[in-house]
Amino acid sequence: MIAEMREALQNRLPEVLGREVEVSEPVLLAGGASKEAWSVDAGGERLLVRRAAGSTIHRHTLSLADEFATIEAAFEAGVKVPRPYGYLPDLEGREAFVMERLDGDTIGRRIVRKDELAAARAVLPVQMADELAKIHAIPPARVPFLAEAQLERMIDELDEVGEPHPAIELGLWWLRENRPPARTPVVTHGDYRIGNLVVREDGLGGVLDWEFAHLDDPVRDMAFALVRAWRFGVPEKRLGGVGPVEPYLERYNELTGFDVQPFELDYWELAGNVGWAIGCLTQMQRHLTGQDRSVELATLGRLGAEVEYEIVNLLERFAA
Amino acid sequence: MSERPTAQELTEAILEFLGGEILPTLTDHRLRFRMLVAMNALSIVYRELEALPVEDDTEQRELAAQIRAGDVPPGALRRVKADVEARLRIASPRYLEGYREAAAE
Repeated sequence: MIAEMREALQNRLPEVLGREVEVSEPVLLAGGASKEAWSVDAGGERLLVRRAAGSTIHRHTLSLADEFATIEAAFEAGVKVPRPYGYLPDLEGREAFVMERLDGDTIGRRIVRKDELAAARAVLPVQMADELAKIHAIPPARVPFLAEAQLERMIDELDEVGEPHPAIELGLWWLRENRPPARTPVVTHGDYRIGNLVVREDGLGGVLDWEFAHLDDPVRDMAFALVRAWRFGVPEKRLGGVGPVEPYLERYNELTGFDVQPFELDYWELAGNVGWAIGCLTQMQRHLTGQDRSVELATLGRLGAEVEYEIVNLLERFAA
Repeated sequence: MSERPTAQELTEAILEFLGGEILPTLTDHRLRFRMLVAMNALSIVYRELEALPVEDDTEQRELAAQIRAGDVPPGALRRVKADVEARLRIASPRYLEGYREAAAE
C-alpha cells in the first residue's frame, strides 16, 4: 500500500507543485473511516495529503473537491490555513487533495494543559476572533457550493436515531422558544473549536478541518468553541478550555461590527451542545447499523449523557 | 430508562474488537490462550444479558413526545435532570463528580 502510494505521489506531485520533485516515503497518519491523511515530503515541501476512504463520517459534509476549494478561498482571504497545493480527482483510485503540513499541536487535552503552551493560551482568545472574523468575511459568491444550514436539521437527525431523549427535547424546545433575531448568514467553518486548530508556542498556527463549512448565523460558528465537551477537562475556561470568552467576543465585534450580544452566545452555546448530543447518537448509530463497527463509536452513545447533563444545567441557569 | 447501546450491545462490540483486532496480534501462546478464556467469559456475560427482559421506555417516549409537541409539564427539567444523573452514574461517574466540583467552586 505504501509503495503504491509513493509511486502514485511521485507521478502526480510534480504537476501539483509545478516542478520536478523527489518524493519521500509517505506515512499514513490517520486511517479514519471517511478520510486518510498521508504525510509526505517532496522537493523540500512538507505536505499533507487528504484522501477519501470508505464511508463518509456525516451526510452533511463537503466533498473533498469542495473542501479543497473552501480552503483555497480561506487562504485567499488571508485566513491562517495550510497552503493549498492542488486537488487530485484520482490518486490511486480515490480523490485527494494536497496541502501544506503545519507544525504544532492539535490534540485538545494537550493544548489546554501543556506548560509550554501557556503563552499561546493567553493570546488564543484574540487570535481565534481574528481568524473567525476573516472567515466570516469570505464572500459567499466565492464558495457557491456551500449550503445554508437549518437548525431544524438537528431534529431530523434525532428522529433518525429513534431513541427517546427528553433532555435533548428540552434543549430543542428552548431553542425554538428563544430564538434571537436572525442574522444574515455568512460563510462559516462549521467546526471551529480547539482540536481543529493548530496551536504552537506563539499561538494559533492554522485552522484545519473544513469539511463542515456552510452558510449560517455567524454567532453559531462563534459559540461552538464554547461547548463544554470542547474544553477538554478545563470547564472553568469557557472558551475551549484555553481562556475567557470576553476578549474573544470583544475582538470579534471590533473587527466585524456585528455587535454580537452575550445572550446570543448563550443561545448558540446551548445549540452547540444540543447538536453534539445528537452527534453522539448518530455516531453510535454508525456502529449499531454496522456501517462502521467500533467500540469507540458505541461508547459515544453512552457518553452523550455528559452532553445532556450540560444541556439541563444550562437550561437551569437560563431559567434562574 | 432506556439506554443504547445496551449492555449487551457494548459487550458485543468489545468481543468483536478483541477477536478481530487484538487476538490476531498476540503471538505469545500463553497470552493468546488467556485472551480466548477472557473472551469466552465475556460471551457468558453477553448471553446472560440476552436473557434479561427489555426495559420499558414508554415513559421516556411519552415525555419526549410531549416536550416535542411544546407541552412541557411542570417539573420536567428537574425530572429529566435526575434521569440524566442516573445514566451518568453508570456511563461516566467521574464526569458527574467533576461537574459538581466545578459548579461548587
